[in-house]
Formats: sequence, C-alpha cells, structure tokens
Amino acid sequence: MKNSIAIICFVSLTGILSSCDSFLSQNSTIDVADSDMFTDAASLESARIGLYNSLQNQYYYGGYYQLVLDAYSDNGATGGYDNLDLDELGLKEASADNIYIQNVWTAIYNTIYAANQIIANVDLIEDETLSDAVRNDIKGEALAIRGMAHFDLLKIFGEHWDATSMYGIPVVTEVLDATATRGRNTVAETFTAILDDLLAAEALLSDTDPRYEDVMKGKQFMTKTACTALLARVYRANMNMPMALEKATAVISSGYATVADGALVGEIYATKFSDESIFELAFNAQDKSAFNSLTYAREDALRSEVNFLAANDLKTFFEDRTGDVRADLLDFESNDVSIEPDGRTQKYRGEVFQDNSAYIIRISELLLIQAEAQGFPAGNTALWDLQANRGMDASIIDNEDQFYSAIMAERRAELNFEGDRYADLAHFGKVAEVLGDGVLPCLPIPNREIGASGGLIEQYPGY
Amino acid sequence: MALMIWLTAISADAQTVITGVVRDADSKETLVGANVRLKSDPTVGTSSDIDGSFTLSVTPVSDVLIISFVGYTDREVSFSGSTTLDIELTNERELDEVIVVGYGTQKKSDITGSISSTRNEDFRDQPISNVAGSIQGKVSGIDIRNASGTPGAGLLVSVRGQFNPLYVVDGIPMISESNSSISTSFDLQGNSVGAGQNISSIADINPDDIESIEILKDASAASIYGARAANGVILITTKRGKAGKTKFNLNYYTGIQQVSRPLDFLSSEELVDLIEEARQNDYNAWLADPTIFGEDYDPALSTNPLPDSWYTGVETNWMDEIFRTAPINNVEFSASGGNEKTKFYISNAYFDQQGIVIESYYKRFNSRINLDHQVSDKLKFGENISLTVSNNRRSLNDNVYTGTVTNAIGSSPLMPVYEEDGSYANFEDYQSSWLSDNPVLSTIEIVPFTKTTRMLASVFAEYAIRPNLRFRSTWSADVTGLTDDIYFSPLTTDAEAVGGKATNSVFNQKVWLGENILTYDTQIGAGNFFTLMGGFNLQQSMGDFVSISGQGFPIGSGLQDVSSAAIVTGGESFSSGYALVSFLGRANYAIQSKYLFSLSARVDGSSRFSPNNRYGFFPAGSIGWHISDEAFWPSNFLISSLKIRTSYGITGDQEIGDFQYISFWSPVNYNGQSGLGPRNLADADLRWQANKMFNVGIDYALWKGRVNGSIEFYQGNKTDLLSDDVISGITGFSSVTRNFGNIQTTGFEFSGQGYIVDKKDFDWTLGINVSWIHSEIIDLSTDSILLSAYTDLTATHILVEGQPYGAFWGVPYEGVDPETGDPIYTDTNGDGEIDDSDAQIIGKSIPDWFGGWNTRVRYKQWDAQIAATFTWGNDVYNMIRSTYQTGGWSDYGWDEEYNLYQVYANNTHVIDDRWQQPGDETDIPRASLFNYNFYQNSGQAIEDGSHMRIREISVGYTIKPADTRYFESLRLYLQVQNAFVFTNYTGFDPEVSSTGGDNPQTAGVDYAAYPQARTFMFGFNFGF
Repeated sequence: MKNSIAIICFVSLTGILSSCDSFLSQNSTIDVADSDMFTDAASLESARIGLYNSLQNQYYYGGYYQLVLDAYSDNGATGGYDNLDLDELGLKEASADNIYIQNVWTAIYNTIYAANQIIANVDLIEDETLSDAVRNDIKGEALAIRGMAHFDLLKIFGEHWDATSMYGIPVVTEVLDATATRGRNTVAETFTAILDDLLAAEALLSDTDPRYEDVMKGKQFMTKTACTALLARVYRANMNMPMALEKATAVISSGYATVADGALVGEIYATKFSDESIFELAFNAQDKSAFNSLTYAREDALRSEVNFLAANDLKTFFEDRTGDVRADLLDFESNDVSIEPDGRTQKYRGEVFQDNSAYIIRISELLLIQAEAQGFPAGNTALWDLQANRGMDASIIDNEDQFYSAIMAERRAELNFEGDRYADLAHFGKVAEVLGDGVLPCLPIPNREIGASGGLIEQYPGY
Repeated sequence: MALMIWLTAISADAQTVITGVVRDADSKETLVGANVRLKSDPTVGTSSDIDGSFTLSVTPVSDVLIISFVGYTDREVSFSGSTTLDIELTNERELDEVIVVGYGTQKKSDITGSISSTRNEDFRDQPISNVAGSIQGKVSGIDIRNASGTPGAGLLVSVRGQFNPLYVVDGIPMISESNSSISTSFDLQGNSVGAGQNISSIADINPDDIESIEILKDASAASIYGARAANGVILITTKRGKAGKTKFNLNYYTGIQQVSRPLDFLSSEELVDLIEEARQNDYNAWLADPTIFGEDYDPALSTNPLPDSWYTGVETNWMDEIFRTAPINNVEFSASGGNEKTKFYISNAYFDQQGIVIESYYKRFNSRINLDHQVSDKLKFGENISLTVSNNRRSLNDNVYTGTVTNAIGSSPLMPVYEEDGSYANFEDYQSSWLSDNPVLSTIEIVPFTKTTRMLASVFAEYAIRPNLRFRSTWSADVTGLTDDIYFSPLTTDAEAVGGKATNSVFNQKVWLGENILTYDTQIGAGNFFTLMGGFNLQQSMGDFVSISGQGFPIGSGLQDVSSAAIVTGGESFSSGYALVSFLGRANYAIQSKYLFSLSARVDGSSRFSPNNRYGFFPAGSIGWHISDEAFWPSNFLISSLKIRTSYGITGDQEIGDFQYISFWSPVNYNGQSGLGPRNLADADLRWQANKMFNVGIDYALWKGRVNGSIEFYQGNKTDLLSDDVISGITGFSSVTRNFGNIQTTGFEFSGQGYIVDKKDFDWTLGINVSWIHSEIIDLSTDSILLSAYTDLTATHILVEGQPYGAFWGVPYEGVDPETGDPIYTDTNGDGEIDDSDAQIIGKSIPDWFGGWNTRVRYKQWDAQIAATFTWGNDVYNMIRSTYQTGGWSDYGWDEEYNLYQVYANNTHVIDDRWQQPGDETDIPRASLFNYNFYQNSGQAIEDGSHMRIREISVGYTIKPADTRYFESLRLYLQVQNAFVFTNYTGFDPEVSSTGGDNPQTAGVDYAAYPQARTFMFGFNFGF
C-alpha cells in the first residue's frame, strides 16, 4: 500500500511541478503586451496607426466631440428619447455628471496616452530598417497630435481666452499609470505645452511620406502643413495675432489646400480629401463615424431618433445672409414635423455607408484666422473674398465692432457642426450674451474625474 | 485476552462472506454509509457503499448483524453461512440522508458547514427551462429572480447576496454564463448599449435528469472549490441507474402560457379625453401666467379642435397584438436499471416553449447517458454524457430602445398594426412619438436566433487500493458550439437606410478538467471516524469567436446571411482562454458522531493573474456538536435532536476577463491600414479576491423529527474585490481592473419543515424558509461610483460606502402639490433647479427579507401542492413608467396651424389617479402637454417591489396497480404556475431586472422587460 501511494504521489508531483508554470502561461491571440511594443520599426508603425485610431473614437473626432460642442451653442438642439444628459446639452445646462462630457474627456486623454507612448519610446527603438526620416515623422505626428489634443481640451474645459487664468487643463506629457492624478495647469502653462509640441512637430514633419520617394502623405495624416495650420489656430486662441497671421499665411500661400468653387461647397462634405481639406480623419464602411446617425439617421426620422439637431436659431441666422450657399447644407424643410422648428444639418449625409470624414482643419478656417489676425480694416479683404466665394454679398464693415461681428458670423456660417461655435463664443466673450445668463464659457470637469483625482482637479466656478 | 481475540480476528481465515444492500423501507432507495456490524464483535463491520451495497467477511458461520443508520431504527438480522441480504431500515424521520458535498458525500448529520439540499420530488414537473428556477423559494439564503420572462432567460441567482454561483454538475464545474453575444440593446447609432437580455447556458441541463441539488452556502462548505466558490456553489447530481429490474419513465406535460399581468392601456377614446384634459390644463395655466410657457407655445395649440386623425375609430390594443397565448410542451423518456456490475441511466427529452411575445420560442433536445461498471471489488469506472441542442428564437426585449415591449408600451391605440393595403402601419404617421418602430413590425422583421450544441462528458475510474483507500480520477469536457444570428429587414427603421443588415457569429468553447482524488477512511476506536481526502486538478478553457456583419440585402429575397450582403461592414475573430491548477485537501473527524471537525484547504493557480500573484490559498475549518447525543440530554425532550455548528473560511474569485494583468495593445485600423491601439491599463498586482465568511448554525428536530430544520447566522466579507475601479481619466482610461473594496453581507436564515399529519392514507407537510439579508459597502477606493444601467444615460445606481451594493440613484420625489397638481422634487442642492445634481440614494434592489413556503397534502391517491415565494423591502426602478404615466407631457408635434397631431405616448390606467382639481391628494401630477410631469431618474420611478407570488398550485392523482406487470405507477396532474402575485407594483412584474441575469451592480431596473407568464398545464408521469 505504501508503494502504491508513493507511486501515485511521485507521478502526480513530477507531472505537476514540471508543467504548472507553462500550463498557467496563457497567451492572448488578439493582443500584444506593452512589453512587446516599440521593439522595432513595425511595432512603431502599428502604434502610429493606433494613434490615429484613437482620434476616431466616437467621443472624440468620431462624432460626439464636435456635435456636443455645437449642441452647446446657438447652432444646435437635441432630440433623442428624453435622454436627460442629452437634453442638458440642448438646454445649455450641463451638469458635472453629464455622461457625454465625461466620455469626451476620457477619449481625448486616451489619444494623449497613445501619443505619449510613442513619444516616450520612439527614440529608444533600435532597428536598422527604421530610417531617421520615418522616426522623425512619426515622432512629429505624435507631438502634433498631443498638442492638438491638449488644445481640444483647453478649448472646452479651460479659459483659453485669458492667458492669465489659472483654469487651464491638466497637461500630461508622460505615460501615466493607473494611480496617477493631476490638477489643472494654468492657461499659460497649457498654451506653452501645446505650442512646444506643435513647434517641435513642425520642425520634424514633412508633407511628403518619408517611406516613399515623392509621395505625399495625404490629408488623412498629420503633415507639416497641418501642423502649421494648427499653430495658426492655437496662436489665434492665445491672442498672439502676429504669429497666427504668420502661420495662417504660410499655409494659405503654400497652396496645399485651396478654396473650392463656392457653388460646390456641398462637395467638400460629400467627397473625401477635397481641395479645401488640410487634415481630415478618414472613415470607411467598415470603420464608420457616428456623424450620420447622430445628425440625420434616416429620411423620415422623428425628432426622437436624431440626437443632434440644427437649432431654429441657425435657420434665422442664414435668413439674413442672402445668397449664402452654405444655407443649403441645412435642411429645415423636408423633416418630419416632430423635428420642427429645428432642422438637420446635411454636412453628414450618406446613410448607407455612414463613413463621413471628420474635418480637423480646412483652408477656410485659415482664411478666417488670417482675416481676424490682420484686424480691421486690413482683414476685410480676406473676409470678403471668402464671402464672395460662398455666394454672399460683402458685409458692410465700418468699424472694429462690425468687423469682429462679421468674423464671428462668418465662422458660424462656415464651421457650424464642426465643433467650433461654443469656443468661438468664449473667444469673443459672448457666451452669456448669446446663450443666456448663467451659461458658463467652460464645460464642467466631470465629477467622476474630480472624485478619482481626490479633489485635485478644481471644478470650474459656477458648477 | 483482548490481544488474543484481536489476533484471532485478523489471523484466522474469513470463512463467511455476507453481501447485501441496505434500503429505505418506504422508498426502497438504497442507503449510503449505513453501519453494518457483527453483534458478537462490534469491531467487525463495514458501511454501505454509494449504491447501498456492502460486503463483509466474518469468521463465525452464523451470527447476527446490527445495521444502523442515523435517523433510522437499528435493525438486527441473523445469518447462517455466506449469503446475500436485502435489508430494509425504517425511517425515524428523513433526517439523515446522505448528501453530496464537494468531492464526496457526507451524512447530513455529520455536516458542519452550511449546505441546503433539495430533491427531485421538490422541483420536478415544472414548466421551467432553467434548473435554478425550479428551486426558487425552496431553499433559504438563495434569492432567485426571473430577470426576464424570455424563454431560456438567465436568472439572477444570489447565494447569500453573492451573485452568479458556480454550478457543478456531477462534479464538473459548468460554464453557466450567457455565451450568446447577440446584443438586444442598441442605441440610435446601432451601438450596443446596456447589457440587454441575458440567456443562461445553465438551461442546457435538463431539470428532469436531476436527482438532487445541494447549495454550498458558507465558506467552509464551498472553499473546497476555492477558486470559483466565492459566490456559493450549486452542486447538481444527475440520476444514476440502480441494480434491478429496468425502470422506464415517461414524463409529459403540456400547457398554455399567458402574460400574467398585462398593462392596462387607455383606449382611443380615453386617450383623447386625457389629451383634452391636458390641453385644458395648459390653457388655464397660460391664462394664469403666460410667462411659464416658452416662445414655442401658442394658445391655439390648446384650443384648436383635435385633428380628424384623433377620431378615426381605430382601436388597437397593443398588448393583445404583441402577446399571445402560447403552448409549452415537454416530453421526457428515461430508462434505468442494470445488474450488480453494470448500471445505467439514459434519458431523452424535448422541451418546446413558445414565447408569450409573438414569434419568440425556445426548443431544446437533451440526451443523457450515465453508466457505471464495477470491474472487480477494487475497480469501477463510468461515464456521463449529456448532449443538448437548443434553438432560441430571440426577441429584442429587456433594456432596449427598439424592442417589442418597449415599442408597444406607449403605442397609440389609434394606430393600426397594418394599413388597409396590408403593409405595416408607419409609426411616424400616428399619435405617439415614443416608438422607434411599429411593435409588430420590429418583432417580425428583426430576426435574432441563438442556437447551441452543448456536450458535457466525463469519464471516471475509481480504484480501491485498500477497502478504505480509494483513488478516483475523473476527466471531463464541457464543449459548446453556439451561433448567434441577427437580421434586420429593410422594413425596420434600424436598417431602412442601408437596405437591411445582419450579423452572423460563432462561438466555440472547450473546457477540460482533470481531477484526481485520493480518499482514506479509518476508524479510530469504536465509533470515531476519520476521513482524509486530497487531490490535484487541472482545468483549461479555450474559446474562439468569429463574427461578421453586413448590410444591403436583395429586396424580397428572404436571404438573411451575411454572404448575401452588398457590403461587409465588420468582422471580428479572436481566441481567449484561461487555465487553473488546483491542489486540495480535507480532513473530517467525527467522534461518536457527536463532536465533528472538518478542515479543508485548496491552493489554486490561475493564468488570469501575473506570475507573482498566481496562486491563492483558501483554507476553511468548521466544528459541530450534537448536543442531543450527550448523556445529559433528556430522552423524551421536545427537542429530539440538536446540533450546533460553526465555520470560518475563505473562498476566492477570479471572475474577471482573461489577461487583465497586462497592459495590452489591440488590433485597430485607420485608413485601411492595421495597427495596434492601447486597450487597457493594467494593475500588475492583480490578485485573487478573497471572500471570508463566518457562519453559526443550528440543526434541530422536534418531536422525534416531526418538525426539523436549520437556523443560520452568517457574516461574509468580500475583500480585495475584483472589479473595475474608477481611475482618473487623464490616464487615458476610465477604469482599471483591480482589487479594491470590501463588501459585507450579514444574514440570518430560518428553515423548517413540518409533518403535520403523517398517516397511512393522509399526510400533510408544510415547509417554510425565511432569509434576512443586509449588505453594506465597507470600503471603496473611490468615494462613490456612479453606474448606469445604460451606457449613454444618466446614472441609475451608485456604489458608496455605508450603503448596500447597487443602491438606486435619482432625484427624490415628494409628490404632487394638491393646489396646482405640479410634481415636486427635492432640490437637494438648493440651486432652484431640479437636475442630476439633486440626486440622492432613493432605493435598493436587494430585499431585506425573502423566502418561500410550500405545503403538500396527500390523501390516498390524491396529492396537492401550493408553493409560494415572497420578498420584502426591495424596490424596483421602473424606468419605463415615465412612458406610460406622462399625462401627455414631453414630446409633441403640431403643424403650422397649431393643430396637435402627436404626443409622446399612450398611458395606462395608472393615470386615472392623477390630480384633476385643487385639493386632490395623489402622487400622479396633472395632465399637461407642456409642463413636465415626470423626471425619469427620480423617486417617481421607484416602486415597492415587495410581493408574494403563488408560484405553483398543483393537484395530482396516482395509480399504483397491485399487479405491476403492465406498469408500476401513473400520476396525472394539473398545475398552475405563477398563479397570482400580490403586489402594488404597476409594471408587468416586480421580479424584474432588465440588465439581465449577470449584472448585480445594476439590478432591479425595469426597462420594458419581457414579462412573466402564467402557465396552466396538464401532465403525467408514467412508470413501467
């Protein structure tokens, strides 16, 4: 009997001890561990695609970021099935528990995480097949996207119009672990970080693809010109008009993008990589964006089926703009009556494929930045040129006030439903005047974030 | 002298061999573990085996055997020469059955942990697909809720407040979660939101095949299953063959099901009246103070006559259109028998349940073979194979925006199902804007199917190295093949623009398990038994998932597979798996069956944790004392039996996804190029969750067992809770899986069973069980965590220290102003506005008290049974109520002449109690189209979920012929399942959880759940 037990024990134990560790080492067939990333040129290229993919998150450039912001302005209204958090946006009464704002916050920081991973590792990779040109290009893309993402946060959660304000956003320039928390940086610190990234990126990037000879990278990727254009946008927000003008002019004169025939303005939304495009996020039928379903849904959609509507106010706005072809991009007529008096934007049509691009920056915004940076009266010409192109008579501009009103109106006409309006109202100090007393120029920091940071992040006063 | 006797006993050749079987005199069931001793020399003896048999070799040629078994009267049987005996013991009271424990069996009287046991006769013949449903209300401490009435639905099962127990079928841990990936809940973008309907793979077990169910409730009983035992263990033992004449059984039932509590909606005329009253209220309010109305309002909206479309005379009762009287049928045929060497049990069953929602059904075919073969005295082996094939025609329901019930709740009675030309009525053209589609259209034109093939197979061999040292090796496999197909026809709103869309997916899973157990019994002195068990297990799970989606289907072709689609819109394919290695051991020591000790330990290693934290150690210990066996216990005392026991132990949990301890990058694509995007942040310190439980229990019997039962008190702490913890979003992620927090559950359980009358022709039993439970979050890493039952809606639940798990979150509701009829909400933060920031804890879904009672009467050949369940102190968050109690408010539509053509939704007669004139005391606000009547995430949606349900009423008649040549028994019965529910709940059923059977954090929400059915049935059991 003793022998039997001994044999059983021996056989079992040897089997067990030799095989346990390997038996318990399971491998995922669909994931790559952190430790296996950034080992060679190929994994760096993979991380680069991952970075662009993070921009496609539906709560970032995949749809909600732009649409939430326009809903939170006089451009937008909300439909949906009595969804309280959605209604809050339409009523411009955002609370710090709003799920959409919370999701936008995390989605943008997810892009920053992906960019930080690349920036932290790009120079450490040892691989002979990785040329310096490619290495620099990818590093430049990551820096530029990180800068852009910080700006996109500042634009909605911080006092971007006031360089002396303490209400910036947490700047994250390293890879954080799960326990990390950060408080706000000041607005000045935030701008410094954004500009550092974009300027460094501008020096590293090129418009051609370093992987091939004489091939353009394409407007679906961050290029040198796109980076310069973003710099113009950031300098303008930072009220550094000379630099904004310099960068805007550089982009315009490069001919990288040109203003299309105004009569065909609808085409720039119906096609990909139009002449006007500088940087757009591309989607396809296998990788859809949320724009179409959120703004149009289907031909006879009821109000409840469309989350983001065009406000009646936008219709009124265009009624005063005789000849403006951009009015055709809005539909206040052929909607189900339940949608009235609001309407739907037609910038994101294409119900079958739902692969609408997200414009990140295009040439007309640069023209408007140029005009604004030139100021009154020098900027009149650039403004009138754009108006003429879009089929409108030139605005009468006799003084500075009229000039800035015209700029603001033109930006609204051009960039509605592209996520610009709310920050623009803040830029011009018009949030309370246009949206009503009590509407604050910054969105609330999500309560979940304040809780998770142990109160380190200060809520914007008034929420 | 003593030495000499001893020497003689072991040295002399045994000359007489007595074999036999010990049975219960009434049931003829064999008794396991009965003590067989020689009267002249009590040291010579044995105990009966798992099949009741024993073999004893003795020296004397003739003597007397004493056969004893706790709970039975001792019996003496004389023998002369080698012989075979069939011994029947008379039951004192069925106190001392042998029950299945982890990795073995034990006499109930020797058990020191907390185990509830139920037998086939308690749960047979019920029109239920899910075995857990059949023990609902029959066992203390286990709360089982029907999350949904959908055929094959998963149940919300909690053992002492811990959800999702481990199911072990004949020793094999069985995958019980839903394997289906069909999302039945989409948002407007077609993204899946919420958990939606959950179907359970435990439905793959045929309840008719089950002999007994044991529930291991405390840590000392469950910790032998260490790794997966944290939420309790449900042991299922299937029937096995017995030596003797082959027995055939044919069981059949048929019945009809109807929705038990349909909502009572307003008729067309009543809806018009309600809207007219709302318009009048609005007009009066406008006259009094026009400033409260927005710019959109024109008094003509309230004064223009309603357009003709309100007076078409159409009268559609949508409850009648989407529900039906549906048949349910079950037929099962089994055969069992064998000889002393080989025994078998085979069964085949077919279950066909048509859903009470049109189109839906669940069909299941089961086949089982259990085989045992005794090769020699030392070696036996056997095999169990169960095969299940099921086909579930799903319906989009439970937590959905576009489901059958969701759409029907609030549909206008003035909308027909079909237009005169036979096409579906277009919902946009009618009075209710709540819908997302014609309810009948969406039921017929959205076609979801889940089909499964499941095989559970195990083979075992047991070798007795010595009579008291046995080695058992079991190797088993649990293999699942599942397909999920969903098709949206181009007629549906969801797929109208894309010309139809479909997703086809396949999931395959293989789990294999090897268990090697060595058991050693010995007797130390007379009457002191020592048992030692040790083992080593290996388990591995591998799963593959493939899914493909497409859109654009040939019109009118009827083709629904993705291969017919114009474009493929998505594809997915991956594999995943985990492995477990376990070492386990247990020692039991019983001194004179009076002082009982048990110690167990298990070490588990899991691939889900990093190599540093891979192994978890789960010890447990318990002691028991049969006070009533002490000499000082008065022999004729009222309390005839009393055992006190206490236990403490730790169980573990690894129920997180695979590979959570590594930060991973997952495949993504951009611009047609593939790449890798960050998937998660990982906590490399991830380790086993440890659930600690302390238990004190009393097992009692009064009047010689005429009344018996248990009383238990326990306190459990889930520590190092494995869950998704909120982290700062600046990290790039919103949560990380890690160990945090401590949830404490305290409870008290009482169960009792009484044999009120126990005569030859008449007996009457009454059973009752009551459980009290209190759960409290002791510690969380983040102060409070808001959760939503839906991914894109305001928070519905909160986790906060000092509160129960998954408390409801919303704005408190104070009622209706008797003067104005306006609803009043608590402005918690005092900012003058009512919004999310006023939210508070407003209820909880876990009941304070729950339990059940049942009574059974038998008079001659007649029998009758009533079984009921109840809960007390739980709330339901009736989110869908805001649709049917709007008083007209919310979305409304009018044309340019201010003619009202559309309102939000039809209402139920709940609205009859609304405020109508000053002085009315009610909690339902006045009718109004323009002034709000409802705040969805508020106390207005909280309802008392306490209820008592008469779950079963049955009457049967049994024929047992004296001459059994043609048949042995025939029982005919009539039964009503879910006969009545006593409750104040206004929705379909207070026993609801729209986020499905696997979401305890967001339990207790009613969002258009598939309602429960009431079933009338007739059946028979025929034995021959």
